[in-house]
Amino acid sequence: MTPDADVTVDAAIERALDAYAVLAELGEEIEDEWTYVNDLAAAWRGRLEAVAAARDREAIAPAAATAVDSAIAEIGRISDPHRAIDWLSTYPQVVLLALGEQP
Amino acid sequence: MRFQDAARDGRAVVYAGIQADPLVARATDALVAASHPERVMARAVMNGESTDPKTWMAMFSTLFGSDVGEADRRRAEGILAVALEVADRGEQVRSQFRGAIVEALTARLLGRRVGEPAIRRERRILFDGVLAEIHPYDVTVELDGSPEAWDCKWGARGIGDDVLHQLDDARAHAAGEEIGLRTGLVVFDADRSCQVRLARANAPYDGLEIVSLETLDRLGGATP
Repeated sequence: MTPDADVTVDAAIERALDAYAVLAELGEEIEDEWTYVNDLAAAWRGRLEAVAAARDREAIAPAAATAVDSAIAEIGRISDPHRAIDWLSTYPQVVLLALGEQP
Repeated sequence: MRFQDAARDGRAVVYAGIQADPLVARATDALVAASHPERVMARAVMNGESTDPKTWMAMFSTLFGSDVGEADRRRAEGILAVALEVADRGEQVRSQFRGAIVEALTARLLGRRVGEPAIRRERRILFDGVLAEIHPYDVTVELDGSPEAWDCKWGARGIGDDVLHQLDDARAHAAGEEIGLRTGLVVFDADRSCQVRLARANAPYDGLEIVSLETLDRLGGATP
């Protein structure tokens, strides 16, 4: 049976990546780190997209979905661009661990 | 080549107070035995916005789920509690605490391999005929025949050309005295992020060891 699109691993990653893009925009406010922010975001986006492709339409466990959504909510609370840069690295690690993947 | 205590300027005195804070020791005790996912959680919490443990337990469900054994769950709860204490210190202070914790963790892990008496903190390295660097190394291993110099960073963003140059220069100067000085950076962040940062570095880092969150236990001699 095909799981509901909202409860699949790739759908969770898509939500996570939408939030990640907003976080990257905040990090870009630190002009000296613009290149690093974009390099970092591209590297982690690629890793998350690879997981989404490999686990396309795979059902996600409720606890894992909650974990990803909690991480999304956490980065939504960040308003400081310096902290955003730190989380551009931390957040993908959190999401990947929630999905049972290695960063 | 010889090691020397760093000058005790005002900043060093203040920072020494942070290093000696019992919270640093407790966080180090918790993290030295932690797994990789637990260390990622500590990193997230110590730089997070949320202060409710339930938020973090939901985010790290693989550490707190019903299928997690009692001992593992208790260890994760201990790490979460101490990380929240660090986060609670406020933005400016917690950044100093985080740095001190990474240094103390590095020292503890290195001590497993070489023994605690060989480990020193905040030391300069002097070479014959070379102008001494003012900046001390965070952690050194002072063993005859196999010295080491390590700098510690909370995140990959802390990797900069200045620290890479300093470590590379030290290694080169030691080689000039026919001493094999092991040099490295310990970064409490993912290897992927470190590699992104290093890819744009202008300083040499070929002979430098990068120890990331995934490979921290290598400091103590473990093979991940």
